[in-house]
Amino acid sequence: MLKIDDIHVYYGAIHAIKGVSFEVGEGEIVALIGANGAGKSTILKTISGLMHPRSGSITFCGQDISHTDAYKLLRTGLAHVPEGRRIFLQMTVQENLEMGAYINREVSQKDLETVFDYFPRLKERRKQIAGTLSGGEQQMLAMSRALMSHPKLMMLDEPSMGLAPILVDQIFAIIKELHKAGTTILLVEQNARKALQIADRAYVLETGKITLDGTGKELASSDAVRKAYLGG
Amino acid sequence: MQIIQYLINGISIGAVYAIIALGYTMVYGIAKMLNFAHGDVIMVGAYISFCVTNYLGLPSAVSVVAAVVVCTVLGITIEGLAYKPLRGTPGLAVLITAIGVSYFLQNAAQLIWSSSPKNFTSIVTMDPISLMDGQLVITGEVLLTVCVSVAVMVGLTFFTSKTRTGKAMRAVSEDRDAAQLMGINVNRTISTTFAIGSALAAIAGVLLCSTVPTLMPTTGSMPGIRAFTAAVFGGIGSIPGAMLGGVLLGIIETFSKAYLSTQFSDAIVFSVLIIILLVKPAGLLGKQVQEKV
Repeated sequence: MLKIDDIHVYYGAIHAIKGVSFEVGEGEIVALIGANGAGKSTILKTISGLMHPRSGSITFCGQDISHTDAYKLLRTGLAHVPEGRRIFLQMTVQENLEMGAYINREVSQKDLETVFDYFPRLKERRKQIAGTLSGGEQQMLAMSRALMSHPKLMMLDEPSMGLAPILVDQIFAIIKELHKAGTTILLVEQNARKALQIADRAYVLETGKITLDGTGKELASSDAVRKAYLGG
Repeated sequence: MQIIQYLINGISIGAVYAIIALGYTMVYGIAKMLNFAHGDVIMVGAYISFCVTNYLGLPSAVSVVAAVVVCTVLGITIEGLAYKPLRGTPGLAVLITAIGVSYFLQNAAQLIWSSSPKNFTSIVTMDPISLMDGQLVITGEVLLTVCVSVAVMVGLTFFTSKTRTGKAMRAVSEDRDAAQLMGINVNRTISTTFAIGSALAAIAGVLLCSTVPTLMPTTGSMPGIRAFTAAVFGGIGSIPGAMLGGVLLGIIETFSKAYLSTQFSDAIVFSVLIIILLVKPAGLLGKQVQEKV
């Protein structure tokens, strides 16, 4: 469904991604793990068109999207929940969801209900300004906002960042539910343990290169991964 | 009674500043740039209106529409040619370009219409209303300016809070990348903003020259700077802030001219601005958003 083929990405003169290739098949949960600064978020930004690769290609559903503008990609079914949530803090919860449905022109009541089924807390807060939500609620809103466009593939960047363990569990349970409902997931996480638990397959990224790959289980039991990312 | 007359005049000129300031504030809020050429778009609008009435002999309503159309196209063109290629570069580059565009427009106007002042005929034909045995005079220009500026503010508030495009503008203003991830075309949104800002500049130009009838290539520059001050004063990026800032600035200016000194009125206006900003750096109605990490 999504195929990344030998991409090189630069921040000015800095060579951030040095020839990364990987694939996400339809119906999979794929995790990308690695330390801070390894280039995980850069890869997601490059897939969603916020950055472009200097060489290599990105194909989504058979279409080359390496140089497509970010705003066109949601229409192809590719949604990106960025690092740090990036919800519109000065807008209400409802308005954030409307922005999520921007490409549909109209906000369907049914979509709102679906989203509120996943995240009932947001329903109570729909008139509230998003900046006043708690961190966990903001993450829920970021995910809901992405759901409004009915994505085929949802890319989640550090959904557990800064959240209490109980909320992390909740968010991961919802990711599993979304997956069950038919959404393909590409997950970037620093919380490797959690990510490997739910991932069908995973890739380990180190300073701009993929150093290991395998099924979630394989990686979770690999010595190298355990030492570096799972605390021994 | 005199003081009330000054207040009315202040509100009237302040309402013009408010309309200009709304253009500044919209562009700043969404494109994150100070469009210093905004004041000169006002001047172009006034010239277009002047030409349509005086050379083509068409009614003033047609001249206003023509000014709005020309300025809208001009705004989109300036943005597309001068500012868009600089998107993503440091803000200073765009700022200097804007100053360049401002000089370009002034000199182009001088080339086309010469530097000698034209006498703008007011678009208002209504007779002034005399109150209190003629102690208080409210001109048609005052009424029109105040009504138009209120209508513009209400319209813009409605537009940005209720319509899909307006909400998309707010999304772009808050977080350009996140807006793109929602499928919002940021470039087109910025163009739309420039179109709206420039249309407002045209209206402001006609109203300004109906009140102060001397029209020359530098006509827009000082009101432009004052309106920018008004936008900062009220809290740049805020629609009611621009309105409040504009009206207050107009009142302060009129009063200082009347009671203190005509020559120092600008100095007084800017001193007030400095004091306000020392106390409230975000402006009177500016929002200081605290972000949750």
